[in-house]
Amino acid sequence: MPIRVLIADDHQIVRSALRAVLETADDIRVIAEVGTGDAAVKGTRKLMPDVVVMDIEMPNVNGIDATRQISSGPYDSRVLCVSIHSDRRCVVAALLAGASGYLVKECSADELLRATRVVSQKMIYLSPTITGQLVKDYVHRMPEDESCTARLSDRERQILQMIAEGYSTKEIAEDLYLSKKTVCTHREHIMRKLDVSSVSEMTRYAVRERITPLSVGTRTQRSKRAV
Amino acid sequence: MRIVLADDHVAFREGLKLLINSQDDMEVVGEAGNGLEALAAVSEVSPDIVVIDIGMPELNGVEATRRIKATRAEVKVVCLTIHSESRMIAAMRQAGASGYLIKDCSSSHLIKAIRSVGDGKEHFYQPENASHGRGVKEDHGGSAFELLSNREREVLQLIAEGHSTKEIADQLGLSAKTVSTHRAHIMEKLGLERIADLTKYAIREGLSPL
Repeated sequence: MPIRVLIADDHQIVRSALRAVLETADDIRVIAEVGTGDAAVKGTRKLMPDVVVMDIEMPNVNGIDATRQISSGPYDSRVLCVSIHSDRRCVVAALLAGASGYLVKECSADELLRATRVVSQKMIYLSPTITGQLVKDYVHRMPEDESCTARLSDRERQILQMIAEGYSTKEIAEDLYLSKKTVCTHREHIMRKLDVSSVSEMTRYAVRERITPLSVGTRTQRSKRAV
Repeated sequence: MRIVLADDHVAFREGLKLLINSQDDMEVVGEAGNGLEALAAVSEVSPDIVVIDIGMPELNGVEATRRIKATRAEVKVVCLTIHSESRMIAAMRQAGASGYLIKDCSSSHLIKAIRSVGDGKEHFYQPENASHGRGVKEDHGGSAFELLSNREREVLQLIAEGHSTKEIADQLGLSAKTVSTHRAHIMEKLGLERIADLTKYAIREGLSPL
């Protein structure tokens, strides 16, 4: 019995290319292609695929919401999310919505096939880069420390946002009533936790995690306050 | 027709290869995951056509196209991207591309465009709002392709991807001092002083993928 797959991606040629990859496998059959999350839910209801390969960034019901509707409905279909984003927030959102797998778009054709098979067997598949991140998160959680529920502390997130908005160490220190040394120490902790070594990498992380918007020049008058 | 594919989405690229190879008159002879690899593939296999994405790390598709056309003018470049903004299309045209398609086209449309370009014609996507001429998020008074020189855009992408001045100098074959000078010019032209702002600008302008 071949694995029946429904492909959901708003870019037609991406659908065709993924279909071509999946159809190289004897044990996989693509039964439908759709271009919106809404169509993915309807298609799942009608055709009951084993696996839905779901692009997260789709209009008219995005992939996360469609995933949620499918996994909370009376369907046996498993959702394998594919995304350009590999940040923790997106991955966790997909998993909370009920996704059985998450692939980054840099994954190879082989990995797509492997993931489809794993997910069809009711198991979870995550791209290795994602697994690494989640394991690090999990392993660094210290149950005794209540404030450590996220990777970065509140203060660290606040400082990261300011760095990503172009504030200098001196400006951050003044704004938050801290010494420059303290700000530097926080910055070192942030860089170590995120495993980055430059302001641009910190900025990218902050943009991906929606800690700061992508628009440039967001330095507004910040009211001086403590956390 | 001998074709090189350049896109950092590997599964998509491999699927595209299958679709193109199914055509009797086409063969994928090389693949690349970023602009630098695209340049290497072109000089190694001398293809007729390169199908290239814009958003790739290290060196984006626009800059790679410019360099390909500079060294191998006979190679034709067709852009295949998710971006539909007029300024991207204009930038690709200026860089020397012969074609531009959005990824919501069908595979048969791509095949047709490749043949058309192979015959010496042009095949450019026409956005509906072509008359507006600018992307929606225009709040800084000018696109990177208008404000910065080719070299400045290359340096900006690498700054935005976390490379040090030395690393940029090594990669581009320049002195560290020259890189610093470029950096100063970029900051002055864009009115941006902070690395964080430069990074965000590069991402917004499509010079660097997020």
